[in-house]
Amino acid sequence: MARRLLQGNEAVLLGALRAGATYYAGYPISPSTEILMRASVHAADHPEFRFLQAEDEIASANAIIGASLAGAKSFTATSGPGFSLMQEAIGYAHKVGVPCVFVDVQRVGPATGMPTMPGQGDILQSRYGSSGDYTSLVFYPSSVVECYRYAVEAFNAAEESLSPVVLLTDAFIAHLNEVVDLDAIEVEVKERTLPALASGQTRLFTGVLVYADGEPATADADEYLRQYEEAKARRLTIAERYAFHEYGWNTEAETLLIAYGITRRICQPLASHFALWRPVRIWPVLERELREVAARHRNIVVVEGNDGQYAGVVERVLRRDVARVPLLGGRMSLEAVREGLARLGLLAPEAVGPAGAAR
Amino acid sequence: MGFKDKLKEELFPTIWCPGCGIGLIMTQLSLVMDDLGLDEGNTVLVTGIGCTGRMGGYMHFDAVYTLHGRTLPVAEAIKTVRPELKVIVVSGDGDQASIGGNHLLHTIRRNPDITVLCNNNEIYGLTGGQAGPTTPQGTKTVSSPAGTTTTPVNLQGLVNTSPHAFYAKTTVYHQGALRKAIREAIAWPGFAFVDITSQCIENNGRRIGFPSANEMLMHYKREFRPAPPGSSALESHQLGIVRGTPEERAPAGVAAPSGGSPSRGEAGSGEGEE
Ligand SMILES: Cc1ncc(C[n+]2csc(CCOP(=O)(O)OP(=O)(O)O)c2C)c(N)n1
Ligand code: SF4
Ligand SMILES: [Mg+2]
Repeated sequence: MARRLLQGNEAVLLGALRAGATYYAGYPISPSTEILMRASVHAADHPEFRFLQAEDEIASANAIIGASLAGAKSFTATSGPGFSLMQEAIGYAHKVGVPCVFVDVQRVGPATGMPTMPGQGDILQSRYGSSGDYTSLVFYPSSVVECYRYAVEAFNAAEESLSPVVLLTDAFIAHLNEVVDLDAIEVEVKERTLPALASGQTRLFTGVLVYADGEPATADADEYLRQYEEAKARRLTIAERYAFHEYGWNTEAETLLIAYGITRRICQPLASHFALWRPVRIWPVLERELREVAARHRNIVVVEGNDGQYAGVVERVLRRDVARVPLLGGRMSLEAVREGLARLGLLAPEAVGPAGAAR
Repeated sequence: MGFKDKLKEELFPTIWCPGCGIGLIMTQLSLVMDDLGLDEGNTVLVTGIGCTGRMGGYMHFDAVYTLHGRTLPVAEAIKTVRPELKVIVVSGDGDQASIGGNHLLHTIRRNPDITVLCNNNEIYGLTGGQAGPTTPQGTKTVSSPAGTTTTPVNLQGLVNTSPHAFYAKTTVYHQGALRKAIREAIAWPGFAFVDITSQCIENNGRRIGFPSANEMLMHYKREFRPAPPGSSALESHQLGIVRGTPEERAPAGVAAPSGGSPSRGEAGSGEGEE
């Protein structure tokens, strides 16, 4: 198969299939629904691929957990409100150590919000949405071809880390059509790691803190710490293998833009004016890389489709103030970025107008 | 072999209160599993959160102890991925009919070949005895001091909305009926729900006037009667099994045959035989 026109959502599905996914459960919600529909079409003529249109996102999330424990690479796709409903199950998958993939195609929230304008408001939800402490791996592609590639990496990371991995996209990328040649993309696919259910063991897969024999350890802080540190160390170690990021554009510029996902694409026309740092692995934060890059620039601006969710994280890592250009209410456009940068005095006002230099 | 091989006796005594009905369900389930040759290589247990959900930890099987209310989507997905396995769900009335009620509604409709044993103690046991979805109207509980005012969920009616489902009613006193219901439910080629009235002596029974678990069992003995053979629905306080018509299942990937919706089959008595 050579070059073809492909949509972001479709690329996610094809990436999942390339990674060996054989189970999908989901509930329709724009702008993720094409993934569900494509999965149903695929299931219709591939009996080894199982599809469930579930009654809600809670069922979807729990079904992919069951499917994964049973031995299938499994995934679901949703958007903000559905992602919120999945959070308890995501916590369960973290606690139990279930490899599976949650795709969140972001739109403007909270609640039903602005269906289906693009947003990036689930950055913190993808890290902290469930209760308690846990360590998440989250990737966010910037193009259709990356939707494919990082869908595969999300499954690989899930297998290696034994945890639910989140693939963030947004309404923009999901519905973007780009010409890609999937055959030209080399990907490595990790095998299943967790022995499937009923392979002769008598394990207890539980969200409750228990000892190895299954007895509750619900009042034992030492046991909690032992298990917590073990899971955290495993995920951080595995995350090192998935340290995807990008540094470039005008690296001599005084100002560094930090932008991820679709926002990086929106900022592209400003490439000659600014340096860019883009994390693809949104979580865990690429702290070392971020510090190294930030040290080279006087100003740092985080451009993102939310009110400073990642900017706050960057400030914590760098221990210094960073400027913000929030793109809110679905207004994710070059004009909005330019206006924000001009307000900060980082882009000449004439550059903002139609005749501007950076136009 | 023997049913005790199904149990992790090294973990006994269990966490359940003395006199709790859950152990009686675990014993009968173990006996049936032993009879049917179910073991850790061909069977998976899926349990919910609640006192009942603890059962998975006491049995020699891979057990998925799910979140509160989420047994059914987990169980259905396991069965979908591994059709060769027996998937047996054990959970409480709150787990199935309240927080998991939406899943129950839709799992009944999809009719996966799984078995649900619902420990219907008519109360939220684990959290201390609050009213639940099957608590009889008027019952005083720690969350309904003046007595509950709501109509309990009609589990039989709900399950029987599917022409293909299997519903059995029994109590933990009626051990023969309980065993028969569990065995037939496991054999049923589709969704099978066993509604088991049982005693939560600690967080319900004593508060509603039963001095002991035994008094609750004697109450079940007095109150429940086998349904007459051939009944198509069970009255309250009737024991028995109501079966639908097994669904014709197309091989995976092939469209299901079309046709009128089948009608429900006959009910039989759950009592007897053993
Ligand atoms: C999401 C969520 N809500 C509430 C609880 C608290 N909780 C644990 S068990 C339970 C009710 C148990 O009642 P039932 O399902 O009837 O089981 P039983 O203890 O009676 O066997 C509740 C409300 C929880 N664990 N998770
Ligand atoms: S609280 Fe009730 S249901 Fe729970 S173990 Fe005790 S008697 Fe059984
Ligand atoms: Mg109960």
